[in-house]
Amino acid sequence: MSNLGQVTMWLGLIAIGISSVCYAVVVSGKDSEVAKNAARLSFVAFSVFVTIASMLLMHFILNHEFVYSYVARYSSRDLSLEYLVSSFWAGQEGSFLLWVLLGAWLGIFLMFRARNMEPHVMLIYNLNNVFLMILLIKQSPFHMLPLPPPDGNGLNMLLQDPWMVIHPPIVFLGYAAFTIPFAYAVSALWRREYDAWIKPALPWTAFAFVSLGAGIIIGGYWSYKVLGWGGYWGWDPVENASLLPWLAGMALMHGMILQKTRGKLRKTNFMLAAFSFLLVIYCTFLTRSGVLADFSVHSFVDLGITGWLVIFMFAFIAISIFLFVTRAKEIPVSKKGENPSYFSREFGLIAAMILLCLSTLVTGLGTSAPLITRMLEQASKVSTEFYVNTNLPLALFMLLLLSFVPLMAWGKNSFSKVGAKAKWAGAGAVVALVITLLNGYPDMEAPLLSLGVLLLSILGGAVTGMNLLLATKLIRKKITISSGAIAHLGVGLMFLGIVASSAYDRSEKLLLPQDTVKSVLGYEIMLNGPQFSREGKGMRLHFPLDIKRRESQFTAKPDIYSERGRGGKMQRFTHPHIRKGLMSDLYISPLDFEPGQEKGSGNSLDLKRGNKIAFHDYELEFTGFDVSGMMGQDARNMTVGANIVASYKGDDRATLKPVITMSKKHGPSSPSSRVKLPGPDDAYLTLERIDAGAKTIGLVYEGPGSASEKSAEKSPPAVIAEVSIKPGMTVLWLGTFLILVGGSIAVVRRWPK
Amino acid sequence: MPKKSYIIGGVIIVLAMAMAMYSFKSTLTPYVTVGEAKASKRPVQVAGIAVKGTERYDLKTNNFLFTLREDGGAQMLVEYDGPRPGNFDDATKVVAIGKYEPTKQVFTAKELLVKCPTKYEGRVKGE
Repeated sequence: MSNLGQVTMWLGLIAIGISSVCYAVVVSGKDSEVAKNAARLSFVAFSVFVTIASMLLMHFILNHEFVYSYVARYSSRDLSLEYLVSSFWAGQEGSFLLWVLLGAWLGIFLMFRARNMEPHVMLIYNLNNVFLMILLIKQSPFHMLPLPPPDGNGLNMLLQDPWMVIHPPIVFLGYAAFTIPFAYAVSALWRREYDAWIKPALPWTAFAFVSLGAGIIIGGYWSYKVLGWGGYWGWDPVENASLLPWLAGMALMHGMILQKTRGKLRKTNFMLAAFSFLLVIYCTFLTRSGVLADFSVHSFVDLGITGWLVIFMFAFIAISIFLFVTRAKEIPVSKKGENPSYFSREFGLIAAMILLCLSTLVTGLGTSAPLITRMLEQASKVSTEFYVNTNLPLALFMLLLLSFVPLMAWGKNSFSKVGAKAKWAGAGAVVALVITLLNGYPDMEAPLLSLGVLLLSILGGAVTGMNLLLATKLIRKKITISSGAIAHLGVGLMFLGIVASSAYDRSEKLLLPQDTVKSVLGYEIMLNGPQFSREGKGMRLHFPLDIKRRESQFTAKPDIYSERGRGGKMQRFTHPHIRKGLMSDLYISPLDFEPGQEKGSGNSLDLKRGNKIAFHDYELEFTGFDVSGMMGQDARNMTVGANIVASYKGDDRATLKPVITMSKKHGPSSPSSRVKLPGPDDAYLTLERIDAGAKTIGLVYEGPGSASEKSAEKSPPAVIAEVSIKPGMTVLWLGTFLILVGGSIAVVRRWPK
Repeated sequence: MPKKSYIIGGVIIVLAMAMAMYSFKSTLTPYVTVGEAKASKRPVQVAGIAVKGTERYDLKTNNFLFTLREDGGAQMLVEYDGPRPGNFDDATKVVAIGKYEPTKQVFTAKELLVKCPTKYEGRVKGE
């Protein structure tokens, strides 16, 4: 057997093909048990083949079979077991396989639960799997190399984190699950049963919402914990790619609840089900086709599946439009409560769905900016302000709705009744306003933005207060009916956390020399001796920091890990130290290490790049080599210069450019030009030595005081660190967690009895 | 739904989209050359390589500095008020997004994108 994995995948494609054909036979009216059983068996066979293929890939990774290009690219011999396992989904091909695998397993459940809709639902579901299998075979994790390398590239250091082990499977579970509401919605139109699909599809929608949401939140948490940039959400295309289907899915879930209870929005829900699924594909296209390669911090590469992805997307768009157009006239419009008042739960829900759709639209527009602008002029991306400016007003309206709509009944409501119940919202708003103003009026880049942040805080408080009351009431009644209230409480807390962490974080960068106590943001910080430790292929530099605040004392241990990357150059990974607190986190990120160096006061001194030193009456800083003189010289000599910024007693700054000429054969030759130092004295520097590897130059000084004897004082090693206080992070994570808890309760609540 | 609500809803949606389009236009950052970046008043992006050995932290402001050189050979000093990206040294290409400040003769980057030679680096989020 030449390539077992690839053969298994082909068998999987054939099985899913047969299953689709058999379901098509059943759908076309030949209600034969034979065809139905063949379809089911083939689907099970498909699941088995995909499972075997996945087990094979896992086996190859665990046994370091580097003859497989994928294994060589994403794993290595020195990885521990959990990271070997996560190498499976470290690259595109493997994560595609994971997507298909999870889809195949979900499909087994779906097949047994779909009952009389099974043939239609499974046919659509299979069509998606056929497409994914084609992509997977084209972009296979089982490509072999002619010569297996002795060791693989290993897993990117940043991905070596427990959260990143579980993040991709959870995201792809969500992606796979979003196919199910779509399959149901298409079947509903096809079979002309416009309401029957809501009940069975609703728990799947909630499930897809929870798993994709969990994936997004874990990604944000990892970003905060590991990347050391201090944030959790950067509106990067990859982040948005998971957010877009999630927002559309959220709108769909609310629409389905409305249809279930009031028989409304039949057309809208079909469209939303189609959108959330199509967005999954569109975002896959955006992030995997390489179209955004120049616009994201992630490197993507076109693996030759772009064409397929586009065909795939348009096929499903065509199916959706065709069905909608042919059925639009027949879809009954609800008669129940044809004119609900503006002050009703229906109206609130519809308004919320519109807001969610608008948010999806603007976020999608921003993410697609490079594609849109490419057609007009030159491809450009939008900055993060775009996402904030467009989503902030939408979020404000959303929170406004969330602070009173959940109190309302279906149909007509009286102002006075809702107003009386909404006391808690008012209380929450006042508390949030007072706490916010005690910390100062928000200081953002634009006055409108500051106002927006203040309003966000007030409304976040209102939503939190209101839904806290509602959730406690409902939990006492019956836990399952509290799903919405808990999720909405989470939304309120999440926005409060967003306001606190983005408008009220304080951050300071400072140099911490060893054994010197520095005070920053109310803390006393001192660096103990930095320690090196060898780890894996690289080295870890630890910065033990003694931190004191009033009575409490603790040691923070941020570090910088560096290892030789694939290009042979050093890569550095900064690990922040986060001390979590209920109200705020202390976040310490080491930026750079300054090894100590000698202070020169004699005639010669060594200067390391980037370091300023005081030398006699001067301050000198070596800012970098100047190799422009190397062009167009004869073959025997080369000239290198150094750029030195010098100042005399803090004044008279000048940039000096001494050069040195070396013969390539015999090392340094003629010391070069003397350069005059700034200031009134006759003082000169000569470039004597250069050490490009250590980024150091040797200089000789002539001038006042140059005859004095050398003293060797060492300046201590130091770390440049960024110290931040980030309020509200715990509240933010708690809020996101409650959204997922509410969603999970909804899955149980909507599970057909 | 009363007919009025359609009109009101429509107006709100049109307004929201108009705002989005305006914001879209004003926050687009075009890719430009170093020369154009120095002349431009709005935020832009410039792609190039970080000249080896020029990256350092300014000990006064503690900002990250490096010299960016584009294909044509034109260079500029870039200042970034944030942590040095983890894969900076391994980068095949660096994109700086921000504005050039003629008085300081430095390009102040709000964002740095770092491209690596590997096929797919970074998060595996929903790729």
